[in-house]
Amino acid sequence: MSTAPAVAFGAHRPGTERTDRPLLDGRLKDLLAGKKILLTGVTGFIGEQLLWKILSELPDTVPAVLVRQKGSATARARMVGVVKKKIFTEVREAAGGAEELLDSRIDVIQGDLPNVPALPTDIDVVVHCAGDVSFDPPINQAFTTNVIGTKALMDRLIEACSDEDGVLRKIPHYVHISTAYTAGRRRGAIPEAPHVHSIDYDAETTAGLAMRDLIEAESRTAEQLTRLRKEAEREHRVAGYLTTAADTERRRKEWVQAKLVEAGTERARSLGWTDVYTFTKALGERVVADLGAKIRISVVRPSIVESSWLHPYPGWIEGFKMAEPLILAFGRGELPEFPASPDAVIDIVPCDHVVNAIVAVCATEPEIGKAEYYHVSSGARNPLTFQGIYGMLHAYFTAHPFEGGERGAAQLPNWQFPGAASVERLLSTSERAHGVAERVLAKAPRSSRARTIAKDLDRIRGRLDFLRRYLSLYNEYGQSELHFVDDNTLALTGSLHPDDQPRFAFDTSVFDWRTYIEEVHCPSITAPIRRLDAIRRKRGNRPSTMKDLSRNTAGEQALAVFDLDGTIMSTNVIEQYLWARLPELSTAGQIGEVGQVLRRLPSYIRAERRDRGSFLRAVYRRYRGADLAALEESIDTTLAPHVLSRLSPEAVRRVREHRAAGHTTVLITGALRPLTRPLRPLFDVIVAADLATDADGRCTGFLTGPPLVGESRAAWLQHYASLHGIDLGRSFAYADSHSDLPMLSCVGNAVAVSPDVPLMRAAGANQWSVVEWKIRPTTPRWTLPR
Amino acid sequence: MARPGFVLEVDDRTPPLVVHEGAGYRLEKFPLGTQVVYPAEPLQAVEDLSETIAEALDQPTDSAPLDQLLRPGMKLTIAFDDISAPMPRMRRPDIRGRIIEAVLTRAAKAGVDDVALISAIGLNRRHTEAELQQILGERVFRSFYADGLLTNHDAEDADHLRAVGGEADEVALNARVVDSDLLIFVHVASDTREGGAVSVATGLGSAATIGQIRGLPGLVSTGAAAQRAGELVGASVPIFSVEAVLDNHVFAAPLEFLGKREWEWSVRDQVTWLGLRRALAISPSKARQRLVDAVPAGYAVIGVNAGAPSAVRAKSTALVLSQQLVEVQGQADVGVIGVPHQTPYSLDSVTNPILAAWSGLGAAFGAHTGKPFVREGGALVLYHPMPIEFSPLHHPSYVDFFADVLTTTTDPLQIQEKFEAKFATDPWYSHLYRTSNAFHGMHPFHTWYQIAAARSHCSDIVWVGADRRSVERMGFRAASTLADALEIVSSTVGRSPSIRYLHNPPQIIADVR
Repeated sequence: MSTAPAVAFGAHRPGTERTDRPLLDGRLKDLLAGKKILLTGVTGFIGEQLLWKILSELPDTVPAVLVRQKGSATARARMVGVVKKKIFTEVREAAGGAEELLDSRIDVIQGDLPNVPALPTDIDVVVHCAGDVSFDPPINQAFTTNVIGTKALMDRLIEACSDEDGVLRKIPHYVHISTAYTAGRRRGAIPEAPHVHSIDYDAETTAGLAMRDLIEAESRTAEQLTRLRKEAEREHRVAGYLTTAADTERRRKEWVQAKLVEAGTERARSLGWTDVYTFTKALGERVVADLGAKIRISVVRPSIVESSWLHPYPGWIEGFKMAEPLILAFGRGELPEFPASPDAVIDIVPCDHVVNAIVAVCATEPEIGKAEYYHVSSGARNPLTFQGIYGMLHAYFTAHPFEGGERGAAQLPNWQFPGAASVERLLSTSERAHGVAERVLAKAPRSSRARTIAKDLDRIRGRLDFLRRYLSLYNEYGQSELHFVDDNTLALTGSLHPDDQPRFAFDTSVFDWRTYIEEVHCPSITAPIRRLDAIRRKRGNRPSTMKDLSRNTAGEQALAVFDLDGTIMSTNVIEQYLWARLPELSTAGQIGEVGQVLRRLPSYIRAERRDRGSFLRAVYRRYRGADLAALEESIDTTLAPHVLSRLSPEAVRRVREHRAAGHTTVLITGALRPLTRPLRPLFDVIVAADLATDADGRCTGFLTGPPLVGESRAAWLQHYASLHGIDLGRSFAYADSHSDLPMLSCVGNAVAVSPDVPLMRAAGANQWSVVEWKIRPTTPRWTLPR
Repeated sequence: MARPGFVLEVDDRTPPLVVHEGAGYRLEKFPLGTQVVYPAEPLQAVEDLSETIAEALDQPTDSAPLDQLLRPGMKLTIAFDDISAPMPRMRRPDIRGRIIEAVLTRAAKAGVDDVALISAIGLNRRHTEAELQQILGERVFRSFYADGLLTNHDAEDADHLRAVGGEADEVALNARVVDSDLLIFVHVASDTREGGAVSVATGLGSAATIGQIRGLPGLVSTGAAAQRAGELVGASVPIFSVEAVLDNHVFAAPLEFLGKREWEWSVRDQVTWLGLRRALAISPSKARQRLVDAVPAGYAVIGVNAGAPSAVRAKSTALVLSQQLVEVQGQADVGVIGVPHQTPYSLDSVTNPILAAWSGLGAAFGAHTGKPFVREGGALVLYHPMPIEFSPLHHPSYVDFFADVLTTTTDPLQIQEKFEAKFATDPWYSHLYRTSNAFHGMHPFHTWYQIAAARSHCSDIVWVGADRRSVERMGFRAASTLADALEIVSSTVGRSPSIRYLHNPPQIIADVR
């Protein structure tokens, strides 16, 4: 089949033309005068402009709006917010203010879909344009909104128009805003008529809603939870059980969500629809036809609604719609290919045309019980192909590139339209390569190079995820070969009173796509992005938990907590052990000891990756038999310079700045207490591991208590804070490793110091500053203290 | 007979000349007509060192022979200056160890039991055990260290500092020194500054005492403060001064050729040079530092003087001058100095930007007989990479001085007013100075003050090949090449200035006529 324009089908043979179309026979303001129109979805894109249109063009029409409470914002408060927007300026000022406008012209009803409250009895027209904008909602949500919600609204409407016996007192007009894509995976010409299918929407709805409990239950099975926990552990084990648990639960919820989406998509596809959105919308149309047997019903099916052509001003748009993320990604050079057929039609319609069509439909009087369908689309008579829009976008972004920062404007991709399969191959190859790189990185030792690579990988991951999501979502639309017949709509716009034509026309063949895309739509949607970019460039993109302390007023209320190894000092406990033990041994003994440690190194590394606490215990076991007093003495005399020469100068400066600001400085480390002795003057409190000794003062190889690592640090901090009147929200913490995540999370100003990759990612997610404190010991690593 | 130092005028036949720049060297082609000041060759070393030492101790100047000063039951203290001199460090045995062994032998013979050794570090960092052994030799170290009779001086130890002289607290010295019946001060004379009783004050005095001499007031008084302190010390403690004077044999094999004049390099020297350049080029910075640090100097002793501090000082000064003095005619418009890899304060450590600046502008520029080798308002061009690197062990106060003080001002007077007291009393610096191996909190101030003379004398100071951030922080300018540097200074000294390159090390004392 072809998507060729309407002319390809030839003209109507005389006599086959429909003659019973409901048309207009007067000015719209007169036709709708004295009528009350109930609108849903006025806080949305189409609803907002529809409300504006009624308020500004139909002076004698009363809009009623059904708005749900959102959080603590009541329906009325939300409506105040809506009418304070720029497009309402004129009507608002005419009424004397936002509140006055609501009082004088708008009937606000607080309510929710599907829990619709009783509606006023004087409603003449209902326009239902509330709905999900997402193409891939979870299956239960899609059914709730599009089927149950529609049903509930119609039930309440009929109730409100009926007397006690259920007999209709008046015949309201119900206008249902659907989408042209309810045609699903059909091909070719789609008539303005009900879609042919024999799906039992009640059964589908029940099954769809049941998925939630089913998947929720499945997510709680032992196998599933074990799998999720293991995944979480792989990433967060070192941070501790609670962090892992929190992550496991997050993963479970994500899994449930993903499964519900998947269930929706698959059910839709199994019945011939692209996704659950269009599927449930199609069922919604069927609900309307069934329930509206005794009233007037119209179904408006817009295609892809984008920014306005003329009203309220060219380019008016609220929020991001379907095509915007892709257009912006194209402009940033991040959309290397698109899986569309170059000759496929992208059926875009400006928002003001949709709104005008709806207003006109409201003014018609269709036959009772016989639904009228209107396609508000452009593809039939003014088609825009993907090849065409690509050329326009390329031209627009070549002429008006995004400010590229220090690297100049991004290079625009050169689409070849190689076909969906090839794009998919490219994407999945990239994803596999990314996966391999990620696994290699996980094994790499910590270094600033690893961090740079990780940052690059994360950026690539972000792009791949974006592409994967959007391409899978829009893949079908990119190859759509639908031809939406819009004879009804055309006839309706043709019947507009000549005086209404300038303000209410909605013939989508009147405009030129190049003008629309390059001069109206793209400038409008890129403007806020350009503004944001400018702001970001101005203030820099750095979160700053690394605050200037010279004007800090927290004083005694604040703690400054520092981790030792890797944060303020470049050592590790194995190295410390060798420093402490080797000098007292003979050369042969030294070689033997180093040999033993080396032999056990793999097991230490395994332990470290598993659990830092058991790693520390394993290493400290080696201190068995050492004389603690002698150890301390040797640390004070020979090891202290070694320790001090491995301090990071920046770290010491920071500690001292905290002291100068009156904060309590705390050193929390899993290292042995004797090793922290040279640092005592810097810290008010030192929490370190203590070696247990026997009666002779010799180390038993055990600790006096568990080493303070991971979540125990957070617990220690919270308890210390409660005992000393510390405000953790104003406190500071500095650490380098993922295992310190709980500690960093419990203070207000956390700083990641030369972090490992997982902590760097956590810091990015939490907006923590990342600093590099260079540690350049003058003596090489392997030098023993002398 | 050693050849004296001389001034070469660069002509067409002059090869590119070696310029030191931190832990590296470059060959620089100087503009025609540049005057290159070459140091003298090393003077004749003494033939028998033991004999020379014995002779000095037995026939001291203006003093009775040492043997007569020693008696049983007396309290004897031997102080020696720290490893900052000589620089680079000399091969073992260190001359101070040799002298002290001789002194100790005599003391033992005379039946002196109460002997203590103190390292006169002043505000420098404490010595490690290895360094004490390096200076004193293993035998002396072993005999005294374990018993606590060999110590580092502590200028912050209020309990063991004693005021001397009339007015209260004007000069305070190590209590052991004040209590002693005789102080034998063993000193290596490598320049004409300090020495004698002044070195006792700066090496064994309290931080406040040293501050009076090395601080801004001391510098402003042009030696008056030092002289007064020396007199006070001399009046309160009997001092027997022993000073050894070294030649200028800085480069030992295999780097000996660096001390030769370039046109006299043999084929072997040139091959070594090429090898050295390659090795330095491919080494990372730390390895490069270790490579050039590895070779100790080949110093030999050219004289030992003993006796009364002032007389000994005069004799040593004369000997130092005979080795280091080079006569030059008039002051040049532009001076060029290569800053070598080591400074006295960065042995086994990092030469931070402030120390590098001091090495060029304080030590090298300041070595003259009263008239700098560059005219007032002239320009200085120096070579050093000046990386922003600090030793957390040795230079903690330098880190903050660089980060906090120099970002506020570079003016010595303002620095003194705003910051000196804070750094001097900072407990962390004090703790590290007293218990670890850190330079005192006042140390960066003293080095900075010593740069002041060069800063005010010259209109432009340009560093070639330096980290621009550190140079800018210190108020200097940076250039990539000598040609660029000369371009920068041309606004003050014109297009064809007279240029004079101080071919150091070894140290040159310029005698400007």
